[in-house]
Amino acid sequence: MKIKVTSIHVEDQEKALRFYTEVLGFVKKGDFSQGPFRWLTVAPAEEPDGIELQLALNDNPAAKAYQQAIFQQGQPAVMFNTDDVKGDYERTKALGAEFTMPPTSVTGATIAMLKDTCGNLIQLTQLAGW
Amino acid sequence: MTDRERYAPGPASGARIRKDGEKWTLVLRRELRHPPEKVWQALTDPAHLREWAPFEADGSLGAVGNTVKLTTVATPAPHVTETTVTRAEAPELLEYKWGDHDMRWELEGFGGGTRLTLWTNIGRQFIAMGAAGWHICFDVLDRLLCGAPIGRIVGGEAMKFGWQRLRAEYAKQFGSGQSQ
Repeated sequence: MKIKVTSIHVEDQEKALRFYTEVLGFVKKGDFSQGPFRWLTVAPAEEPDGIELQLALNDNPAAKAYQQAIFQQGQPAVMFNTDDVKGDYERTKALGAEFTMPPTSVTGATIAMLKDTCGNLIQLTQLAGW
Repeated sequence: MTDRERYAPGPASGARIRKDGEKWTLVLRRELRHPPEKVWQALTDPAHLREWAPFEADGSLGAVGNTVKLTTVATPAPHVTETTVTRAEAPELLEYKWGDHDMRWELEGFGGGTRLTLWTNIGRQFIAMGAAGWHICFDVLDRLLCGAPIGRIVGGEAMKFGWQRLRAEYAKQFGSGQSQ
């Protein structure tokens, strides 16, 4: 077995695609539809053949409630690792990304938190070398 | 070989696209050799839909106000949406939503048969895919109405039955703007 894809719920797939590609700099991988169902995945430009992130339309009331609750608690829906959290912070901020936490030192890492414009918080993590 | 194995779709035909503002509509027309009453049943009765449509319905789509769960078949992740039938004028006009897609079906009797027209909105980049999928579904519907059902052909299964060729043909007919 392998992890090839993981999912995140988004309120609007077009809007999510713009954010993940234009702001975060991901690349589009899979995009096909079957009726109103749209399978849409992206992958980080640094690792385009790595694990894909499915941008799944959140039309499920149970998932919506969960998404809103963890968003309000300030909990990230997903975490991405980076080698340069400050650089990513400056770059994405210049592109309009809204951060709820600037790069902050925590035990073993520097983290930052931003909104994905589609109902989620994303944590960027730069692990401290040891 | 079974009838299903022998099945191969004909050339792309009967489809056009329309743009209203930012919204694209796929318009599909198919002439069926069966009366509107019979076609109406195939469009509204869950047991009939199961034989040809790209979704399952958990109740009849045949009456205004009916609330029905539609489960898109063979998607890589479960996709269930609820719809309320907004127009049902048997056996002529049927309207409901499939997810965020408007579905408008018109049945027009002619010479003992039915001229069936479907209007459905769909993203521009997916129009040729949608046209190819519905083309195959309508072929399967026709076999069902003839009393010789070959079983639903949707999702990945459609790839085995010429879906890619149809998609390319429709993409060519609809002109540029296709992303894939």
